[in-house]
Amino acid sequence: MFSNIALAYGFIYICLAMITAGIILLFCMKIKHNAALRKIEAYTAKHRDYFVYVQMHLHDDVKLQLPPGRLDRIEADVIQAKLMEWIEQLKGEAREKLLLLCREAGFVERDIRSLSSFRKGKRIEAAYRLGGMRASEAVPQLLKLLARTNYGPLAIIIARAIAKSADQPEQIRDMLLQLLASGKPIHALAADILLETRLDSASLLRRFLDDPEPGLVKVALVAMWGQAVPSAVPTLDRLVGSSEKDVRAEAVKLYLSSNPVLKDATIAQLMNDHEWEVRAACAQALGRLHAAGSIPLLAEALKDDNWHVRNYSAESLALLGEQGFETLCQAALHGTGPARETALYRIERIMAKEGNHEEVEQMVDFNKKKLLYDRYFGGAKPSKRIGKMAGVGGDYTA
Amino acid sequence: MSQATLQRVQSTDLYDELEQEARQHRGSGFALMFLYSADRLSEMKDAVRGYVEQLSASGAQVREDAAMRTLAVTLPGYSLDAAHYEALLLKQLLEEQRLGEPRITLAALTEPPASSVIKQMAEATRLSTSSDIYIYTEQKSERGRGRILIVDQDAAVRDFLHIRLAMQGYETLQAADGLEALDLIVKWEPDLMITELNLHGIDGLPFIHHIQQLAVKHPPKIVVLTEKRVEQTISQCFESGVDDYVTKPFSPVELDARIRRCLQ
Amino acid sequence: MTAIYYVMIVSALYFVIMMLSFRNIWNISRRAAYSAYNTLSGSELVPSVSLLVPAYNEELTITENVRCLMTLNYPNYEVIVINDGSSDDTLDVLLKEYELEAIPNPEIRGRLDTQRIRGVYHNPQYPHLYVIDKENGGKADSLNAGINLSRYPLISSIDADSLLEKDALIRMARMYMENPEETVAIGGDVRIANGCIIENGAVKEVSLPRKMWPMFQSIEYLKAFLGGRIGWSHINGLIIVSGAFGMFRKDYVIAVGGYRGGYPGEDMNIIIKLHRYMLKNKIPYRVAFCPEAVCWTQAPDSYHILSNQRKRWGRGNLKNMIENRDMLFNPRYKVMGWLTMPYNVIFEALNPYFRITGLLALLGYVLMDMTNWHVLLVFGLVNFLGGYLLSIGALLLEEMAFRRYNKLSDLVKMLLFSALKFVGYHQLGVLWRVQGHIQYLQNNNTWGTMTRQSWKEKSKTA
Repeated sequence: MFSNIALAYGFIYICLAMITAGIILLFCMKIKHNAALRKIEAYTAKHRDYFVYVQMHLHDDVKLQLPPGRLDRIEADVIQAKLMEWIEQLKGEAREKLLLLCREAGFVERDIRSLSSFRKGKRIEAAYRLGGMRASEAVPQLLKLLARTNYGPLAIIIARAIAKSADQPEQIRDMLLQLLASGKPIHALAADILLETRLDSASLLRRFLDDPEPGLVKVALVAMWGQAVPSAVPTLDRLVGSSEKDVRAEAVKLYLSSNPVLKDATIAQLMNDHEWEVRAACAQALGRLHAAGSIPLLAEALKDDNWHVRNYSAESLALLGEQGFETLCQAALHGTGPARETALYRIERIMAKEGNHEEVEQMVDFNKKKLLYDRYFGGAKPSKRIGKMAGVGGDYTA
Repeated sequence: MSQATLQRVQSTDLYDELEQEARQHRGSGFALMFLYSADRLSEMKDAVRGYVEQLSASGAQVREDAAMRTLAVTLPGYSLDAAHYEALLLKQLLEEQRLGEPRITLAALTEPPASSVIKQMAEATRLSTSSDIYIYTEQKSERGRGRILIVDQDAAVRDFLHIRLAMQGYETLQAADGLEALDLIVKWEPDLMITELNLHGIDGLPFIHHIQQLAVKHPPKIVVLTEKRVEQTISQCFESGVDDYVTKPFSPVELDARIRRCLQ
Repeated sequence: MTAIYYVMIVSALYFVIMMLSFRNIWNISRRAAYSAYNTLSGSELVPSVSLLVPAYNEELTITENVRCLMTLNYPNYEVIVINDGSSDDTLDVLLKEYELEAIPNPEIRGRLDTQRIRGVYHNPQYPHLYVIDKENGGKADSLNAGINLSRYPLISSIDADSLLEKDALIRMARMYMENPEETVAIGGDVRIANGCIIENGAVKEVSLPRKMWPMFQSIEYLKAFLGGRIGWSHINGLIIVSGAFGMFRKDYVIAVGGYRGGYPGEDMNIIIKLHRYMLKNKIPYRVAFCPEAVCWTQAPDSYHILSNQRKRWGRGNLKNMIENRDMLFNPRYKVMGWLTMPYNVIFEALNPYFRITGLLALLGYVLMDMTNWHVLLVFGLVNFLGGYLLSIGALLLEEMAFRRYNKLSDLVKMLLFSALKFVGYHQLGVLWRVQGHIQYLQNNNTWGTMTRQSWKEKSKTA
């Protein structure tokens, strides 16, 4: 019994000691932090004139002076943070000037030194700031740091710093390979990091498209969305035949988005691909290409198992003039299951736009469709039970 | 002559003298700085003298206008940026010596101005309420080159644009969120608005819709300056009548050009 | 005596979990500070998200809530508000505010079973907003209806009485992108908004609640989220992602059959089901916690409402435990089977009974022999200090990484209330849980009252 109580007493003492320590620590941290905040505020006010000076003469053809006076650590931090804030917002000559200023003020050197600090936090902070200052001389060291860091949020911070600073494509390739070595499908993230580069991204992407490493090819493909890289089309042509499943799907999507001239056989082949992404991309492209000959294929694709394929087929049919619209109406009237749903929805969307047409041509086009609509549905709205669509099987592809 | 009249004559002489000096340095750059102190002018004068003497450039002079309680510092051979930097060093020095908060106005003169303009500048220094160094530019016309409303939740971006645009002679106002901006558009009727899409209170696209429905005679031109690079958003913006779309990070020079094109 | 042991073991266990939180906190604060949210938030490469907002009688808070959700810092998302057959003007308020019109023949893609949908509303001027009007079916049912309409691969459930910080969603998405294949769910940090100044759908100024009940809950949330969930997520043993703010991979939510209706605790239930599904099918996965993604929620500020909420939680928790009892000590379920589930049964669900019986036994013991009165004191102290230490730990975590409350007086107030919590509030918590269990056994399955105040009044009065 006594030993039991003794244990409890021990527990109480330990708790008491830890609580006291904790409270003291809490107050110290709070006071220290608040003091630091006040200091930062004071320094921001002190250097306001300098900040105005930098912003005013950023674009003039002049060399900017360093911040005045001797700076203590927090002061330097305040100025550096401000400069980095602008660097992130600006590009072109203005950015170059700010980068030069960071370098001459010794900020780059200071952070390169902290890169070999014993404290992990310090190293990460330094990496982040070196990225912010586009310090190309720090890249080899950053690459080493990345190699020592396990994949995770901190590794990503370092990787971003490398992407921003690197002035050689090889370094970016190195960085990407290290990221991809985690084995996780992080192509979107890697692409986003890659696009932070200050090198010419188009040529960088072209280079990675030809890379023997399939991971890099995929990253490049993902990164190319939204970036017009017309000279990459021949490479895409080759990749469409790739055996890597993901690579092929991405490549087809990109290839089709460049509005190529397609042979009927190719279209038929793509529309019957076993990868839904390929079918969807093709269905989408057909409307844009005004490939009226493909209407039967699209009508067939309305019955596809995949929602995206159905939806894009309907959209494309709507773009293919009277004939396409009539096909939609037929599907809505005689079709069954999902094909009918999709067609109906699309028709409603088009009809809802009544009165929104400014151009005469659009008016004429719309009226033709309206006539067709009335012929099929007799002016009465097609009815549909909302929410209940039994017997169709799940479709949860997105 | 009474004391007051004497002073007035003296100060008129001072501005003539400054005009003369500016004329002499025509073409080689000439910066003029006014400092004003309400109560400690003579101490400030000593400090400024001491500072000016150690400058490498020769010919810098300090003159006093006792009536206006201002000092005039001439910096021949100085461009605006160099003079600006000296001004902020000087201001720091004065603050360190606890000589109050000096008001400073600065101008780099390419064309020698009339003495009345110089006097105007001195007056502006005296009446200034802000402790910031004020860069004096002659107003070319009543309404400047146009009114620009800056909408962004990031104060750093707003400040940057404001400084830059004000220097080019635009009149600017800032709004931190969409609702404030809508209010200002009605009251102030800007010619152009630079806006981020990511705002507090109202989202970018509805915000732009709203602007077009406002009861103002000339709705402002809209330049979107945003972080958003999503293609769909960009096309939606143009569909709703945005005049230009610039993504961050942006090139200030390019933005200037686009603003000019929109305002033409 | 065993009671004292029990309390010490509980404290020690909590402590171990909290140590795990401490291990992670520096990394969390660094990734929060140095990740590029700005560039990400404009990038086409960030996955699109459907936000699902179930709303039942929320006419007072819904506009502010939707306004907040419409202005998130995120590249591509849609907001789907699901009006769960409200008896007030929730739907009309929304229709009016955003001039929404019914979509003829809306296309509903998902196939989860829900109550009848009466209509879907939309306004092309607000392309990212949809409102579903449906018959009343509960929160889970509403979420399922939202899933059925949603277009994007990720879904995020958000309570209608909560406000997200502008960066909350992009912070979560960043975490998701870091490991997209394995991340099935991410929970956000929920904080109490009472006392904060709310303007235009955003928290303008953070400060602690002025009223007592929300203040206690503030401390409680801090302890549970920072002290507990960071640690649990580290060993992938998170059993709950708060219903107020969480993000999920839609394909897996659908794979486990969506949310379970008819009972409270659907937020815990979905996570348990996800764990079960992934472990059963041997798919590597993680349920993550993202403390830097913050959601501010309105806490009940009266005894009545709070007690109802807690009874409901007690009921839901018990139901989930009983339903999933097969996972207990089942080697197939790894961390879930060996740690999370036993922990939740023994130290959460059954906690009140252990404590009460322990206290009674000690009381009897002392009554028999009055000279042993100090044992009672020791029991009380062990209870109090163990708990208080954990509160201090949570406050330290907050101070290290987040620092939402800046004033020194706030710190003093939090320390004070952390102590006061053990006089009354804590005991009430135990009572409510027991009452919840009784309700469960009685098959009482009402939601209880939950009245809301508008955000505007809130900031004035709280």
